[in-house]
Amino acid sequence: MHSVLAWLQRRADNVAVGLLTAIFLSFILQIVSRYVFRQPLGWTLEACLLGWMWLVFWSAAFTLKEKDHVRFTILFDAARPRVRRIYLVITCLCIAGALAVSLPATVDYVAFMKIEKTSLLKVRFDVAFSVYIIFAVAVIARSVWRVVQILRGQDEDIQA
Amino acid sequence: MSLAFLICLAVLFGLSAFGAPIALAMIAAAVSYLAMTGQDLALASEQIMQGLFNSFILLAVPLFIVAANIMNAGTISDRLLNFCVAAVGRFRGGLGHVNVVASLIFSGMSGSAIADAAGIGKIIIQMMTKDGRYPIGFAAAITAASATIGPVIPPSIPMVMYALVSDTSVGYLFLGGITPGLLMGAVLMAMVARISHKRGFAIEEPTPLREMPGITMNAFPALMMPVILLFGIYGGATTPTEAAAVAATYAFVLAAVFYRAITVSGTYEILSSSARASASVGLVIGGALIFNYIVASENIPNSVAALLRDLDMSPLAFLLMINLLLLLLGCILDATTILLVIIPLFLPAARELGIDLVHFGVIVVVNTMIGLITPPYGILLFVINATTGAPMRDMIREIWPFMLVLVGALLTMTLIPGIVLWLPRLLGYGG
Repeated sequence: MHSVLAWLQRRADNVAVGLLTAIFLSFILQIVSRYVFRQPLGWTLEACLLGWMWLVFWSAAFTLKEKDHVRFTILFDAARPRVRRIYLVITCLCIAGALAVSLPATVDYVAFMKIEKTSLLKVRFDVAFSVYIIFAVAVIARSVWRVVQILRGQDEDIQA
Repeated sequence: MSLAFLICLAVLFGLSAFGAPIALAMIAAAVSYLAMTGQDLALASEQIMQGLFNSFILLAVPLFIVAANIMNAGTISDRLLNFCVAAVGRFRGGLGHVNVVASLIFSGMSGSAIADAAGIGKIIIQMMTKDGRYPIGFAAAITAASATIGPVIPPSIPMVMYALVSDTSVGYLFLGGITPGLLMGAVLMAMVARISHKRGFAIEEPTPLREMPGITMNAFPALMMPVILLFGIYGGATTPTEAAAVAATYAFVLAAVFYRAITVSGTYEILSSSARASASVGLVIGGALIFNYIVASENIPNSVAALLRDLDMSPLAFLLMINLLLLLLGCILDATTILLVIIPLFLPAARELGIDLVHFGVIVVVNTMIGLITPPYGILLFVINATTGAPMRDMIREIWPFMLVLVGALLTMTLIPGIVLWLPRLLGYGG
């Protein structure tokens, strides 16, 4: 189980690195095309924006650890391990709850966006925005799993 | 302010206080608000996705992060440091000055204070504490203090965020940061000189002049980076966002081809950590987009403006009040949260009082950077503590004099807008 998860994690990381590389390369292409060949490209910008959106939510869904997030940790760090567990259970449940409650409406919205396409690359917006659904489902699953682990007393990583 | 909004705030502060990621806390708070006011719950995702997709300027964030990480991983930082030691190491408190000058140069390449402290700062703290020449607390304190210059001198990730919330030109903001950044460097060096003199810190062996050309040549390609960036942006060749891509490419070519300092797997590691750092910032920006939408729909910024109008507050009093408020908030909040969530509350008021938004933005960025070194929540102190093991207590004891002169510099540029605005005006800013 652990090795499967670790393998998946590495593949998710590959995707994130691929997205960042794609953003980077299409930017370079855009600059070279505009200033060296005097032929401005429009689609590169759209590709960058799509890549950026996917990078943020894909990483938030699969590769970001607690310590990577911007957090306010003064109270958390000062608390005893038992209290930290309580904090974690509360925050995980609230976040999972909020995302779960808004999930049906969000799915509706994303599905509705199939009527629009990006202006140059003609990517349908439901495809573009679907990464938010992936993000929401992954964060819900990760939060619930965290709570289960804490309740079972299997949460070794209570520090961060 | 409605009851729903108060509950929304309670959810946000409650979850954040318990250590939840700020971005997720903002999304959860936003959903609770939408649910209570009977609005479409999909508004949260809609605001976030549309906002991210339509903010071209934000693309500078991942690119600047990549550039800074490449420079730290390659030997670019080391070479710069050698150059600085040769140039200013001969004065009393030499390595303290080297620290500030290296930060000034590095800040012309990287837009992140944390990258500065974690990269060049780590190396110089090792140099300073070797053979016990400087107490580790002093070395760490001046490193943290000088790292705050990083995002004041362009390029700057915090200024990109401010430009996003305030609709100000990034180009003029960048220009506006140059003189204040140099001023911060100057006051820090004055303080280093004073402390070194009083405590009798060692003088370095001066580098022989005949070695200078070699050391300079070695660092020359790296020293060209700020020149390329500024020329690219102000020569009209690239937008600030494109300049970020050029900076990353240049750093990569230098490190991989010229200095042969990074490998393929090293490059992957750089991209992987940059991807995580960019995503974590991007997510906070996303959270702030929906949260600010709610704040705006509650008409909070305009109420603040109206309140200040009734108080008949002068622009100067307003700026001083904001500075004080942000310095206090900086003790407990990080710069991203302040810039994206707190600042929008005061923008209409600033506009109404006739305060120049470029001046305001530079002051706000300098202020939040000072917040990075104010205990208890000073992220630069944490980073240095984590990378070098410098004890928190020593750092905090030694940081006060530096913080004091930085606040002095902040006050000066608040009182004299010309310090910020003369350069943008010279290059055509009409404000």
